[in-house]
Amino acid sequence: MPLANTSTSVPVVVDEDKCIADKGCTVCVDVCPLDVLRISELTGKAYMKFDECWYCMPCEADCPTGAVTVNIPYLLK
Amino acid sequence: MTFEPFEAFCDLDDLAEKLRDADPGVRRVAVMDLADTAEPGAVALIGSALHDGVPEVRLQAAIALGEFDGRDCAQMLVVGLVDADHRVARAAADSLAELKDPAAADPIFPLIAHAAPAVRAGALRGIKELRRPDALPLALRALDDADPQVRVEALGVVGYLKVEETLPALIAASRDAHAEVRRTAVGALGFSRSAHAAEALIRALSDSDWSVRAAAAEILGKGRFARAVAPLMAAFEDPEWQVQVKIMRSLGQLKAAEAVPLIGRSLEAEISNLRKEAAAALGEIAVPACRPYLEGFVDDPDPDVRKNVRWALGRIE
Amino acid sequence: MDEITAGLSEIDCDVLVIGGGTAGPMAAYKAKMKNPDAKVVLLEKANVKRSGAISMGMDGLNNAVIPGHSTPEQYTKEITIANDGIVDQAAVLKYAENCFEMIQELDRFGIRFQKDENGDYDVKKVHHMGTYVLPMPNGETVKKALYRQLRRARILISNRYMATRLLTGKSGRIAGAIAVNTRTAEFLVVRAKTVIMSMGAAGRLGLPTSGYLFGTYENAANSGEGYAMAYHAGAKLANLECFQINPLIKDYNGPACAYVAGPFGGYTANAKGERFIECDYWSGQMMQEFYKELQSGNGPVFLRLNHLRQETADHIEHILHTVERPSRGRFHEARGTRYAQTMIEMHISEIGFCSGHSASGVFVDECARTTVPGLYAAGDMASVPHNYMLGAFTNGAIAGEDAIDFAAEVDFDAYDRADVLAEQERVLAPTRREDGIPPNQIEYKVRRLVNDYLQPPKVSKKYELAQQRFAEAREDMEQVMVARDAHELMRALEVSSILDCADMAACASLYRAESRWGLYHWRTDYPERNDDEWKCHVLLGKQDDGTMGCEKRAVQPYIVPISDDEKDAYYKQRITAEA
Repeated sequence: MPLANTSTSVPVVVDEDKCIADKGCTVCVDVCPLDVLRISELTGKAYMKFDECWYCMPCEADCPTGAVTVNIPYLLK
Repeated sequence: MTFEPFEAFCDLDDLAEKLRDADPGVRRVAVMDLADTAEPGAVALIGSALHDGVPEVRLQAAIALGEFDGRDCAQMLVVGLVDADHRVARAAADSLAELKDPAAADPIFPLIAHAAPAVRAGALRGIKELRRPDALPLALRALDDADPQVRVEALGVVGYLKVEETLPALIAASRDAHAEVRRTAVGALGFSRSAHAAEALIRALSDSDWSVRAAAAEILGKGRFARAVAPLMAAFEDPEWQVQVKIMRSLGQLKAAEAVPLIGRSLEAEISNLRKEAAAALGEIAVPACRPYLEGFVDDPDPDVRKNVRWALGRIE
Repeated sequence: MDEITAGLSEIDCDVLVIGGGTAGPMAAYKAKMKNPDAKVVLLEKANVKRSGAISMGMDGLNNAVIPGHSTPEQYTKEITIANDGIVDQAAVLKYAENCFEMIQELDRFGIRFQKDENGDYDVKKVHHMGTYVLPMPNGETVKKALYRQLRRARILISNRYMATRLLTGKSGRIAGAIAVNTRTAEFLVVRAKTVIMSMGAAGRLGLPTSGYLFGTYENAANSGEGYAMAYHAGAKLANLECFQINPLIKDYNGPACAYVAGPFGGYTANAKGERFIECDYWSGQMMQEFYKELQSGNGPVFLRLNHLRQETADHIEHILHTVERPSRGRFHEARGTRYAQTMIEMHISEIGFCSGHSASGVFVDECARTTVPGLYAAGDMASVPHNYMLGAFTNGAIAGEDAIDFAAEVDFDAYDRADVLAEQERVLAPTRREDGIPPNQIEYKVRRLVNDYLQPPKVSKKYELAQQRFAEAREDMEQVMVARDAHELMRALEVSSILDCADMAACASLYRAESRWGLYHWRTDYPERNDDEWKCHVLLGKQDDGTMGCEKRAVQPYIVPISDDEKDAYYKQRITAEA
């Protein structure tokens, strides 16, 4: 059976103006227990690649510039 | 070369180089990496970042120093504590409060007399856990500080040292104009078993602030002050039920048989927390006079009340 | 990014610790402290900085045995009774004797426990049975403080390596483990003289009522690898039918936190705002009462704080919203619920395995040794009951100190290279397909089946149906599951653990032909507790023919005897009022 690309709204939002991933920071990506964040090769900024979030918040709490916001996933909001 | 799949122990020289980078973002990342090394040699480098021109870099450095301990670390942090940027100062105060090594207190002591109240408060908070006896005169002086937050932090230092000679100062603080200061002072009196402490605590039972009254009621029981029974009974009808709970618990701890009728009446209270506490207190006192009060509540609609009633009746047998 | 790269490397060590959450870091630290010359490796699927159940912190201890407040013997008695007698007391007693020293050590590490104004631990009495609650209103520093110690001790940390199978040696001892990188799919074979497993609960077993796969009570990274790996290595697992089911906030996966709210006067209430729980300690019995109230006309169930002073309720809210699960505040904000104003709706969690709250775990003795020589287990995945965070730390320390001595006595046991090749084939199979079913769909289906058929009350016929459905899902997993990158491969491997755990949950539950532990093992066909036949452990393991099977194991004679009077004292508390 072929695979589909079903869209889903992801809970973690990164403010690209504040994010300093392009300076070598990888804090949010490192601390995620589910490894769902990545640094975009296009923008050099962090983003949520996989909708597999425990909304535990280390990414937000440990971000040195306050660029990350964790929202509650829609299904349980 | 053998494969090493391990988290690297970074080279301090490389990171020192990055600390001099023109880009403040790079300098911030370098500070974070320095913290992760956990190397004692990183302290001075991070400390140097507290002199950075960009406040965000200094903020990062103040946070990073929270990962280290000792005199040198404290020496660096006091620079952050007096930073003009309040975020840096606050982060430095938080990091100071993480220190565990008593030797770290030395560089902090002078700041207890600093002009800015936030600095004085941060310095006192930093030395509390270090429990240095020679901090006592400094902290006692700070009890007269004009700023209430400084007085609260000073009480923290004095309270942790548990020295009987500080009683007059603690008792004076239990009359402070600010409720938070009074509440902290009442808590700090907890170590003493002296009549003077008991008197001050008894007086605090009629404080205008409910949280002070609750703290006083709790500590009188914890300290097993027998003379507190009558005053606790006199304070029984406190307008706040959360204070009544503490009073009953303390009367229970004091095995106050004379308070049984008073406590027994609380078994009829509407708020179930009070009924539960009353049953528990009667179980602590456990004299035959408790029985008639308890027997009527074996089938209380609240299971916690029932359990405590049964337990209490079991103790009287 | 996340592309699959071929490759295999090998390393050696004295002690391999798998899992960098709570027990693991402590085990690695203690092993290294005892023998600084030893090579200690800590392997972690995520990153040690923030991995595991206490990722963001912990808001309190509820099993702190502190001199002057409770005794190890008293604690051992209470756990024995709370776990309906199925307890090897030696391990519980050893924990209780060592945990105060651990609190003091954690305090020195910079982990913050509540102290009174005189700097003494501010232990709270929640009920008259015992005094074990030590709040941690500033407990958000736990992982930071641990990580700092690991770095100072120069523990070798391998992040983003997911262990998939243990290696056993020719002499039957443990020989190491195979792991795969979660970003590149490269293999790492770790040859080790001893292995300590500390891989957490099997928390991704049931499906949360929200339907969101990762909205589990436990950290969703804890998908049961430890249980599955121990099983495949031939270790025995104890009392898996004693499920974990916990009270939590409805829809949000934050714990109910009666231990946070209790000392302030908060409680669990029904829709009328009244207490209904008879049971005096956290147990399956308590959960049974919770479940019945939920189902009754008095339900649903609420956390009640709105009878407290505004500042007290706000203070509790502040702790609950900042320390252990901080997104909780955001959840309530969106719904407009404030603890001071309204009661907060609660529910029960999905099922899982976790000794931290119940008793289901890899069978260990009081030194954290499993039934495989050289293999240890600690924390939520080991069988010491009702262990919580402090138990993970304390037993992790015990495991680390025992393992480092064991390692000094032995050489590497030789494993079969064919085992490594076979494991590589198994792991990479989903990556070699062009097309098929992605892991998330298989996972959803398995976990939906777990809810449909395994959630208590346990009905034999439903369990048998579950076993058939699981076998079909396994067929799909082995034949048509597809993983397109290294990240998805990690999820595919997790599905395999989840399915193994589902099979184990079914097998163990069907074997114990009685009801015990309240809701955790409530069998409708055998509604009564049967001490004559079942006052024993159920050990599950891989049998000689490769199939899953169970056996009875006698409970060790009690070291701390419990008189009938004392048992009655507890059971009497449960008598319901004649209304």
